[in-house]
Amino acid sequence: MFFFINQNMHAEKSGIEHAELKRLALFNAHREPCRLVIRDWDPMLHVNTRAAGVQDAQVISLFDYYQRAEAVSEQAVSLADLDFGAGPLTRTMEPEKQRALLSAAGRLVARVNFWPGTRQVHSTEQFDDFGNLYLVEQYDRRGFVSLQQWYTPDNHIGMETWLTPDGLPVLEKYRRSDAGGHHLASWRLTDRRGQVFQFASLEALTQHFLDDLNAAYWDEARPNVFVLDRAELAEWGITRLRRPAYTVLYLHNAHTANAQDPAAPLLNNHYEFALNDLDAFDAVVAATAKQTRDVVARFAARAAAFTIPVGIVAERQLTAPRVPVAQRQFGKIVAFARIAWEKHLDDLVRAVAIVHRRVPQVTLDLYGYADAADDYQARRAVEAVIAAEHLEAVVHLKGYTTHIDQVENQAMLFGVTSRMEGFNLAVMEAIAHGLIAFTYDVNYGPNEIVQDGVNGRVVPAGDYQALAAAMIAVLQDPALAQRYSTGAYASARRFAPAAVWTQWQQLIQDAQAHWPAKLVASRFRQPKDQPKDQPKDQPKEDRP
Amino acid sequence: MNYFISENIFALNSGTEHAQARRVKVFAALPGEAALYVTRNYNRFLDRDRQTLGLRQDQVLNMYDYFQQATRFPRREQPLRGLAQIPLAAYKIQGFGPNYSLLLANGEPLARANIMPGTVGLVGDINYQDRSGHLLVRENFDWRGFKSSVDYFHPQGARARTVYLDPAGKPKLVVVCMNRGGQVAPTLVQLLDYHGKNYRFASEDELFQFFLDQLVAKDPQARLFCERRSLDRVVGAVAAKQKWVVFHDAHAVQGQLLAAYRAVLTEHPEQFTGVLVATKAQQAALMQQYPRVQAVVVPDTAAVPVRAPLADAPRPGHVLIMVGRLAPEKGVEAALRIFARVRAAVPDATLVLRGYAQSAAYLTQLKQQAAALKVAAAVTFAPYVTGSKLTQTYAGAHVLLAPSRHEGLGMQLIEALSAGTPVIAYDCEFGPASVVSPGVNGDLVRPGAEADAAAKVIKLLRSPILWRQLHRGALATASRYRPAEVGKQWQAFLKAHPVV
Repeated sequence: MFFFINQNMHAEKSGIEHAELKRLALFNAHREPCRLVIRDWDPMLHVNTRAAGVQDAQVISLFDYYQRAEAVSEQAVSLADLDFGAGPLTRTMEPEKQRALLSAAGRLVARVNFWPGTRQVHSTEQFDDFGNLYLVEQYDRRGFVSLQQWYTPDNHIGMETWLTPDGLPVLEKYRRSDAGGHHLASWRLTDRRGQVFQFASLEALTQHFLDDLNAAYWDEARPNVFVLDRAELAEWGITRLRRPAYTVLYLHNAHTANAQDPAAPLLNNHYEFALNDLDAFDAVVAATAKQTRDVVARFAARAAAFTIPVGIVAERQLTAPRVPVAQRQFGKIVAFARIAWEKHLDDLVRAVAIVHRRVPQVTLDLYGYADAADDYQARRAVEAVIAAEHLEAVVHLKGYTTHIDQVENQAMLFGVTSRMEGFNLAVMEAIAHGLIAFTYDVNYGPNEIVQDGVNGRVVPAGDYQALAAAMIAVLQDPALAQRYSTGAYASARRFAPAAVWTQWQQLIQDAQAHWPAKLVASRFRQPKDQPKDQPKDQPKEDRP
Repeated sequence: MNYFISENIFALNSGTEHAQARRVKVFAALPGEAALYVTRNYNRFLDRDRQTLGLRQDQVLNMYDYFQQATRFPRREQPLRGLAQIPLAAYKIQGFGPNYSLLLANGEPLARANIMPGTVGLVGDINYQDRSGHLLVRENFDWRGFKSSVDYFHPQGARARTVYLDPAGKPKLVVVCMNRGGQVAPTLVQLLDYHGKNYRFASEDELFQFFLDQLVAKDPQARLFCERRSLDRVVGAVAAKQKWVVFHDAHAVQGQLLAAYRAVLTEHPEQFTGVLVATKAQQAALMQQYPRVQAVVVPDTAAVPVRAPLADAPRPGHVLIMVGRLAPEKGVEAALRIFARVRAAVPDATLVLRGYAQSAAYLTQLKQQAAALKVAAAVTFAPYVTGSKLTQTYAGAHVLLAPSRHEGLGMQLIEALSAGTPVIAYDCEFGPASVVSPGVNGDLVRPGAEADAAAKVIKLLRSPILWRQLHRGALATASRYRPAEVGKQWQAFLKAHPVV
């Protein structure tokens, strides 16, 4: 069984979530059993995973697992279903606050909050007869009390209790301060067998969870493969499993603080711990060959290294009718990126300003939500350049969209001016739609997905004048433009499902090759034993 | 069903609990008169403590047990080291003497498990802590071997709430502790999933009333007997056809009504069918002063006389005993002074004070008093006992001293007589005069007449003939309090007051 470990699966996803969903689809298409493993508690989890096309049976959240809530049939819980035990209650609806107040004999018994736009219960805030808020009950969107937050007399959350859908408390989190006033969280778990475990951190609980998963899905014929998509979630526990498994650190971003310098002394904070302990993993995966080379060269780890793109271009897209450049809107440049500091989109606007002086038809549409950091500083930087260059009619901030086909089948160019990247799914999608890509020479992704002179141009990082010059050259040469666009469509084949699956198969073969030795080392098997089962070509789904 | 209602059964019980338990046992012999000893308080040792009163499990009904669905649950010894919830592959149990063990993970303490008191290695409670040693949660096990309640704590250390579980581990009751007038105290009681519905109450007593309502609703023949004044208001509010208040003590001292008796005598007499007292004297006093109150005399207690043959000679030594809680109203201080006078005349006289003290401070005070009176060496402070050990105490004594300031009856008087031990008592309201007949089974003196009491004791110690006479008289009197006799009187009472 493959486990893809992530923090959450919100409705608004970042590249890591998109990558996981594509990977899940790829594995499903090849009937390789896999699960999304979610570490955080989220009452909307199943709504969001279903919306993302993932069946409940393929989602295991840590909380669901211990709450025995992996498969729960949905039921609507409305005001009438609540029983506070207080006899007849007076209701006051507050539609503007999406809540109702319930009182008895003039005393507030509970505030009931509804899921936005519905009359279904999101949470209840409960009061005793002395006016103390003592308990908040949070509902899972599937219609049961999932989390109880018990309050202290000074109105803080003192502890939290997670319940099974039947109301049995199974997981508790206690909040205390240590002698220095630092926050301490302690966890107490009652597992499915009724055993009680204590953990001094969420990391320790996560380690226990991974051990339970490894035992529950144990299969002597094949190793469980844990793919860690966000290192901080389980970097501690995954290297300390009680039973053997095959563990994979998946790099979704540059591994150094300065992505342009693979030998930079400081590592990307997110990966610092895991990379320093890289020998404890079985494998490390990077999304580009360039990064894989840099990681291998720098860490000389015993872990096997693989290059597996995080992006996959759907076969449907690869075989879609190609749109000739002549049928596209001349001069339409698009960028798909969060408007954030590391995306450096103000540079892209500077380049467009230069292009606009030579090619007045040029326009730029920016798709993506604005990063709120430092009071939307990145967006303000973009808007400042627009104002300074009087590009209000040329550059438009379009916000987040899911209509990628529609936008990219009409546009002509795609721009990337990031300071760093982990892969950049957007530019991969762009070339798959025949857009001519222009990018700074930045690690990792853009300078590999974009092949200079094949599907667009790669210019020195930070040199927006060079970027502008490259765009002008293409805009002034229709034949060149068509050549690059054709090259773009063709170069997307590198990210075809079959191509990516080939990379995964290498990892699977490595896992399988080491498995008998691991079983022997941990005494699940004797040295002379032959493997009991050869791996099947089409492994069957096997749930305990 | 006859419900005898009180707070609890304790490890150390007062006369009220003993009287109530004996009544339940007397009723067990009466045809068609089922009886239950009903208690309000949470007590995870109830199944042990009821045995010290000689009650069967099906003769006791506790409110928490009822809502926890654990009223009929056989005891199963649960060793700490066999507790399924402790993952022995992950944590080590390290014992520290017979009373507690620590749960250790890689040498770090995670929890302290206290052994069930009076057992070898059975789980009593488990206290889970965080790595800074803060107590987080305490799990309390019932004497019968299941996890019965869980106490959670606020970060500042006060109890945050207690969750009471059914034997399968499902929460049935929650008591929440939050701010109440500047203190952290219970502010809410929640009853969960009781026949599919939730309920909430402002106090334990509100829950108790609900509980009694449940009993009565299922039982139109219910007769309630309230044994504790602290419960009169709750029982009074229950809608039952018959509700009696049982007095175990004098309701007034020197003509002053005691505050605890106000609810039934002056505030809400209409809520009750009547008051049961042990003596005609108390009945007369009540009828005269509270004409709205129906007062009926019924036996307060029963005792089985010793079967041993009559003694021809006084018992060896000159042993005086006093039996009962060591508390000011029992006259313990007077007893010490009386004894000092006796000892001056009878140098080998000794005094045994058998019973638990109301407080450690009071016990110290009594010991200091004995020393000041220079009788410390002759006075034994003997622990509370029940059953045959208590009978031996009576049977080994020359005389029972009973200088109480007030009594409803005085169970120790009956018990002493049943052992053939004469009684010298203060003639206080209301019990002693109805039990002690001067010259027949002992003697009475005016309350406070210490010299008179001492003189009568000295006379008894010095006269074997008088002792033998009073000894025989004591046993004769005691036969009136045989369970069968008491049962007949109760039967007459019940017949006179049918539930209609």
